[in-house]
Amino acid sequence: MAEPMHEVALTVNGVPRGAAVPARRLLSDFLRHDLGLTGTHVGCEHGVCGACTVLLDGEPVRSCLLFAVTVDGAEVTTVEGCRSADGGLGPVQQAFQDCHGLQCGFCTPGFITTVTAYLRENPDPDQEQARDAIGGNLCRCTGYQNIVASVLRAAQLQRGGAG
Amino acid sequence: MTTKLFGEPIPRREDPRLVAGAGRYLDDIDEPGQLAAAFVRSPHAHASIVDIDVTGALEVDGLVAVYTYEDLAGPLAQPLPLLIPHPSLRAARTPYPLAKDRVRHVGEAVAMVVATDRYLAEDAAQRIRVTYQPLPPVVGLDAASKAGHLVHEDVPDNVSAHLVQEVGDAAAAIAAAPHRLHLELHIERSASMPMEGRGVHARWDETDRSLRVYSSTQTSTSLRFALAAKLDLPVDRVEVVTPDVGGGFGVKIVHPWPEEVLVPWAAIRLRRPVKWAEDRREHFISSAHERGQQHSVDVGFDDDGRLLGLSVKFLHDNGAYTPYGIIVPQVTSTQLPGPYRLGAYRVEFHSLYTNTVQVTPYRGAGRPHGVFVMERTMDAIAAALGLDRTVVRERNFIQPEQMPYDQGLIFQDGRPLVYDSGDYPAALRLAKKLVGWDEFTAVREQARAQGRRVGIGIACYVEGTGVGPYEGAYVRVETTGKVVVATGLTTQGQGHETVFAQIAADQLGVPVENVNVVTGDTRRFAFAVGTFASRAAVMSGNAVAAAAGKVRAKALRIAGEALEVDPADLSIVDGVVSVKGTPQAAIPLASVAVLANPLRYAFDEQAKQATQFAVGGGIHRPPVAEDDEPGLAATGYYSPVRSTFANGVHAAVVETDPETAEIRILRYCVVHDCGRLINPRIVQGQVHGGVAQGVGGALYERIVYDEHGQLLNASYMDFLIPYASEVPAIEIDHLQTPSPLNPLGIKGAGEAGVIPGAAVLAAAIEDAEGIPVHRMPICPSELWELRNADHR
Amino acid sequence: MRITGEAGLRAPAGEVFKALHDPEVLVRTIPGCRRLDLVGPDSYTMVVHAGVAAVKGEFAGEVRLSDPDPPHGFTLHASGSGAPGTVTATVDVTLVEVDGSTVVSYAADAEIGGMIGGVGQRLLGSVATKTAAEFFAAVDAEMTGAVGPAAVEPTRAEPAQKRSFVAPVRPRPAPATFLAGAIVGAAAALLGALVGGLVATRAGRR
Repeated sequence: MAEPMHEVALTVNGVPRGAAVPARRLLSDFLRHDLGLTGTHVGCEHGVCGACTVLLDGEPVRSCLLFAVTVDGAEVTTVEGCRSADGGLGPVQQAFQDCHGLQCGFCTPGFITTVTAYLRENPDPDQEQARDAIGGNLCRCTGYQNIVASVLRAAQLQRGGAG
Repeated sequence: MTTKLFGEPIPRREDPRLVAGAGRYLDDIDEPGQLAAAFVRSPHAHASIVDIDVTGALEVDGLVAVYTYEDLAGPLAQPLPLLIPHPSLRAARTPYPLAKDRVRHVGEAVAMVVATDRYLAEDAAQRIRVTYQPLPPVVGLDAASKAGHLVHEDVPDNVSAHLVQEVGDAAAAIAAAPHRLHLELHIERSASMPMEGRGVHARWDETDRSLRVYSSTQTSTSLRFALAAKLDLPVDRVEVVTPDVGGGFGVKIVHPWPEEVLVPWAAIRLRRPVKWAEDRREHFISSAHERGQQHSVDVGFDDDGRLLGLSVKFLHDNGAYTPYGIIVPQVTSTQLPGPYRLGAYRVEFHSLYTNTVQVTPYRGAGRPHGVFVMERTMDAIAAALGLDRTVVRERNFIQPEQMPYDQGLIFQDGRPLVYDSGDYPAALRLAKKLVGWDEFTAVREQARAQGRRVGIGIACYVEGTGVGPYEGAYVRVETTGKVVVATGLTTQGQGHETVFAQIAADQLGVPVENVNVVTGDTRRFAFAVGTFASRAAVMSGNAVAAAAGKVRAKALRIAGEALEVDPADLSIVDGVVSVKGTPQAAIPLASVAVLANPLRYAFDEQAKQATQFAVGGGIHRPPVAEDDEPGLAATGYYSPVRSTFANGVHAAVVETDPETAEIRILRYCVVHDCGRLINPRIVQGQVHGGVAQGVGGALYERIVYDEHGQLLNASYMDFLIPYASEVPAIEIDHLQTPSPLNPLGIKGAGEAGVIPGAAVLAAAIEDAEGIPVHRMPICPSELWELRNADHR
Repeated sequence: MRITGEAGLRAPAGEVFKALHDPEVLVRTIPGCRRLDLVGPDSYTMVVHAGVAAVKGEFAGEVRLSDPDPPHGFTLHASGSGAPGTVTATVDVTLVEVDGSTVVSYAADAEIGGMIGGVGQRLLGSVATKTAAEFFAAVDAEMTGAVGPAAVEPTRAEPAQKRSFVAPVRPRPAPATFLAGAIVGAAAALLGALVGGLVATRAGRR
């Protein structure tokens, strides 16, 4: 009962990557275990918690709900790809540290990718909008207050404010 | 000590790694040749195992092994340890690593499958046919106490433990009281539910016969000892390393889990690394739950609302097994009195078996239930007498000048429950001010005039934190000037890398950036207890301070010798030891570290300074004095005589929808006193997170079993952890009443946020609705039912 | 571990007894058997490709038949070792003729060590039972002519006293990939030997 393998080639964080995987391989497992990008975490395996959120052609998706074979040829951004151009922390990452927007850090990658995508469309959210922006991600540690602050701080950093 | 860093809200040192996706959690560990484990789990709440047919699994390419109970031998074939024995635990039962003949809850592990990857392991697990003979399940406290059916054949009343504590004659005091009330109060079952489930990775080195285990645990040191015992290995051949852990909240303090012993055992048998990472459904049905209790309260009080006697009888649902003993009900029974003088107090509990997942501590560990009971009672007294709810509380508070205050009870650590410090009236005053208590009557009336229902609640608590027996730490200054700190307890997001570095940096006069903290790695520090009960900052914080203090003293002594001055005249600033007032007479701490280790061999340039012809000193005394050790390093331990007691007050304002019964939290205010704050930002984060769990536990989260013992909501779609939209903005004020019990004056902060959640929200809903709320959590449909019942 | 089982063969006990002592039959019917060398009276060395599930490889072993009681039974002693582990087994084989057919019962006492010994008793037992069934089915087919002559004649590589029998290449059904148990089962048959642990397996996969 050997499973047929399928070549999946895509661009991850700007780098062409590929591997041969069974059709049922989840994108989350593909990123983590085939490509070694373990920053993407899996919290619930059914699309509720958002920890596995990655950007697929720029849009946030739950990588635990997608098969790797369905994203052949796509462009994927993971938390590892949210760094700044100089290799330091990206603005969203920096904001999470600045505002204590994480504790155990397990859900954090999903928030960072989600917020990264959100701020592209909404560069200047207010408090309420910032809370809405993260409304689809679960965090068990922080109570979200500092994550909301992190969204606002990230927007500020992206606009070039040092704050 | 200096106070440069202690008390500063510095950013966390662990964050750059974690925000970049560079953390290393259990399931991130992949290595060549690694195998994956999956488990066949019982679909029945109670059944005999008739047969296990593994033939179907053979069709899965990549299958490596299938284990059942029959494969276990020696200590591994015995039940898992009873971690915390207690004399009242008269019928303790713990599970076997794999079910032997009988399963007692849905999710109990029956067989373990090992394959070349997790997908295949699950394929094979699905093909294993287990034949069960179902037995009548015992579900819920009513069924358990009726004992029409038994969870364990040899426990005829389903009672695992029965404990009574009494201070004074409560029955007589209540009987003689001018006013009496009786209340029935219920708290339903919930669970810790960390975002990362449990997980274990084991690697066996056949060459030196050693085992390295990574586990997503709250205690690596005790797991190590347990593994050595269970696998019959010398302790020094077993190392347990805690990687980054994606939350614990209590559930990961239990050890060794079945999977924690089986995965290393399989790795040894198969000579291959084996990994198991729990999936979310497994976590729901096979880890642990908490909370479920039913309380029956009798209270007697005087015309002013002063307590004269309190008698509480409660039933505690401990699930199918009791590996963690009676800790949860014991904490409930002893923390229930909170900040009050009770007069006479009697508490009695029965801990009962049911065919459900075992119950072990979840953040708060019995306290939320006790506080719910006490605070609901306070509100009931106020209502009965027509008094303001805060007035009744004020009249019953233990006063600051009465500290230390002995409640006359025995706490969970087997020691007298004595509050060390605290200013409860001040905390209440702050909370009232923060929430606007005195102005709320007008707010409520105004809202009513608009057809809106708003209500306010308040709840006080006292929380035993920093429970013993001890923690230790190792601090070493390296010859680079960097400082290494190792402590044995583990970290699940509390920021230990940061706060312990703050403590060490202060003691040693070095920049915090120069301090590197390691936790939860038995290779680095072997003696420790674990991270639970809001104890890490108190225990390891003081241990780090003790070890760093010794290192400081040694550094000053060596520097004094080198500079030929009295150590008392030296200070350490920015990593340089210098003579106070004469900063040019100085020696870097790095050089002191070199001098602290007399050398024969000059393995690098620095080492030359410490070789035998370089150092001075007499030739008639040993290079290392009898009472000294080489290296600028020290180990320190902290072992308190008893726990410290933090306290606080929460106040909340809610609005309930007159039509839909939807419950919305308008404000949530916290006054929190955990003694001196090491890092206010981190403490604030702990409070936020705790409140979110308290809100979840009050309004959304519950574990629902049907009468067959099937868990009906074993997913995040149905077990409703609050999203950002459900958690209100949290307003915090801190009091700092230092603990006299430890040098740093600190108390624990980890659990505080969650403890009064159910109590304060029940009070606020009751205030908004004018209907008594005696059962939590409460959802809109239940509130709607309450309204209907109230109108009938 | 102890493994027992039985199989029905559509031939009289005398013929079954004979077949179970005939290396040419055995080499064709023992699942995974690559080579069988007669090294003495009722004594063989064998190479079997076997394993349980993903733990598999070549086993080299010896099989000796003793206590012949034609046509009622015999005892088989097998030992084998290979990369996946080691197997030693003693198998009591009993033949009972009923209406021209024969019920073969086997009871194996096997000690399985090394990696393959670590894969779990139920898995080993299951593989053994399955492989034994496969073996007896093959023997049955031989005797009833359900299977034609092997595509390749066994090779006689050595002179009389030391003859070799090499299994013909034939496709195996996909599921028959197991071994250990198999071995045992087969062992029962004689195979028992091989039993050792072995189990038939898909040669050449992985």
